[in-house]
Amino acid sequence: MVVVPISTGAGEALLLGLATGPVCLASCGPVVLPWMLVQPRGVRVQARQLSIFLAARLSGYLLFAATVWLAGSVIPRSWSGRSWLFGGVQVLLAVGLLVYAAGWPHTRCSFADSSADGSSRLVQIDEPPRSHRSRSHRSGAVTLGFLTGISVCPPFLVAGVRAAQLGSLADALLFFAVFFFGTAVWFAPFVSLGVVRRSSSFVTVARMVAVLLACWYAFAGGSVLIERAIYG
Amino acid sequence: MASRVLARPPAFRSVGRSLLLTLPIALWSLLMFTPSFREPGRDRHIGSLAVILFMTTLFFLMMRTGKTYQWRRWFFVALGLLFPVGFIASLVAVRGTMSIPVERMVSGDTPFCYMVIPMLFIPAALARTIIFPGSILPTANNPHSIAIMIGIWLAMTLVVGKGWCSYVCFFGGIEEGFAAIPKRARIGRSVRKLDPRLRLVPWAILLFVVVLSAALFEPVYCMWLCPFKTVTEYPAVHSVETALQMGIFITLFAGLVIVLPFLTKKRTQCAYFCPFGAFQSIFNKINLFEIRFDREKCVDCTLCQTACPIMALSAESIREGKTLMNCMKCGACVDSCKKSAAVWHLKGTKVALKPERARLLFLYGAWAMATMFGGSILANSIATMLHWLPVK
Ligand code: SF4
Ligand code: SF4
Repeated sequence: MVVVPISTGAGEALLLGLATGPVCLASCGPVVLPWMLVQPRGVRVQARQLSIFLAARLSGYLLFAATVWLAGSVIPRSWSGRSWLFGGVQVLLAVGLLVYAAGWPHTRCSFADSSADGSSRLVQIDEPPRSHRSRSHRSGAVTLGFLTGISVCPPFLVAGVRAAQLGSLADALLFFAVFFFGTAVWFAPFVSLGVVRRSSSFVTVARMVAVLLACWYAFAGGSVLIERAIYG
Repeated sequence: MASRVLARPPAFRSVGRSLLLTLPIALWSLLMFTPSFREPGRDRHIGSLAVILFMTTLFFLMMRTGKTYQWRRWFFVALGLLFPVGFIASLVAVRGTMSIPVERMVSGDTPFCYMVIPMLFIPAALARTIIFPGSILPTANNPHSIAIMIGIWLAMTLVVGKGWCSYVCFFGGIEEGFAAIPKRARIGRSVRKLDPRLRLVPWAILLFVVVLSAALFEPVYCMWLCPFKTVTEYPAVHSVETALQMGIFITLFAGLVIVLPFLTKKRTQCAYFCPFGAFQSIFNKINLFEIRFDREKCVDCTLCQTACPIMALSAESIREGKTLMNCMKCGACVDSCKKSAAVWHLKGTKVALKPERARLLFLYGAWAMATMFGGSILANSIATMLHWLPVK
């Protein structure tokens, strides 16, 4: 195994993170965007939600780093189980997005509510008790953050290959932590989504997007799993 | 329908004045098509001449009758029906099939379609990549290059805003053609009772295709969702995935472009699906022209709402004297209003002060663009059909 000096590794990780951040953004954007749009109003709240999301994503990264490092010495690079992981994570992302689209468990669309001209109101979201609400948002942030953290996008794979070559588990973890900070910079603009949030039309559109994306992830993940099940 | 439309229109202007107002469009048409008379080919000459006469006559009738929608529709439906003829013919002539072989995609020979435009921005900004297998500049095999089509789109959008969907988009013309066939809607009422949130679906599809195209670096709408692939070009079917894509295209086309418009007399694909239409709505904000309602004359009969082909009016918006954001300036609501309460409006002026002046200004821009872009498509398709005819 080639052992990469840690000083070189950290700089490389940061550069890799900054350089591939747009690709990470593009990979995770489809999940983050609709999810952020249905979060409570306000830049501060949005910033907090994004931080939780990113923290969960970091833990996903670290878990992956530890796994690839441990696996690096025993499992060949072309490990076929990677596509099982890839497909499974995508199906889980689909489920997560559908849960958000349905507004479960604390938001409810009111279809029955009608205005004077007989047309139903665009959308109404019932506000849950404050404590309940923040717990629900937090757990959502954790789930989606973690799942995007272990979804195998191209820059992530590159970083994974490098981490697997490092001399110790600590080096691999550090490499991924620094790589994460490089990519996280690109997520900052999502905080501003708090400004448009709470227009009922935006919420409706965000939910529709979540359903469409869930269908896409289910299709993408499902076809990988089916292919593996059939062809091995 | 033809007898109704061709019935002698009530005079709104004298013949002389109408002719005078038509003169600029006649000159513009001549200017646009003069180059094609310098090229050899009798079919091409006939096609160009037919288009000059067609566009000028329709504009004259708009001036003479004061009506917009019905005359615009003749052009728009002709565009929608003839575009596939010319396009498919040129595909078959160049590559022998409507399907796109992979090697053609790789060599950048795919004609550029404006539907892709919203999906281009993020990958272009983040990775300086154009996610479409076409060439930036025109080539011998592919004159419909990315740069040319984006230039045309930009110019037209600045002039007409969402009017694109009434004066430019040949896809919308196909749908309008099917909606024009029946005398009355079979399920028109049900459409008006649909949940108004469904009007947001095109925005959701727009956001979906934009973010997913950025994630996958491929034009997701073209690969999976475009109903019009059915009558233009499609990836060659050689796997389960391509067969699935074809199935989606055909189902969407049959349902949203043929069956539902026929049953409802509405442009259902444009109203409830098309992400490019949603994207164009944004440009209504910067466009100078709009439709407004004179609240002093309006009696809330909702005739205009019934007439609108894309559900761009709600009882609430009419009460506020406005259309919804997706109004495509087709003029159906203005033409249907018996109280002259629905009016063309130039932003920044007083509502209903000089509505005919606003209509004229808009129509000059829109018709000039329609003649230039749609007119050349029509001329090309007519020439192609003449070329096919066995008798010369
Ligand atoms: S809504 Fe879409 S298909 Fe319909 S006219 Fe507009 S751009 Fe064309
Ligand atoms: S509001 Fe009027 S002008 Fe606008 S799309 Fe509807 S009918 Fe056409």
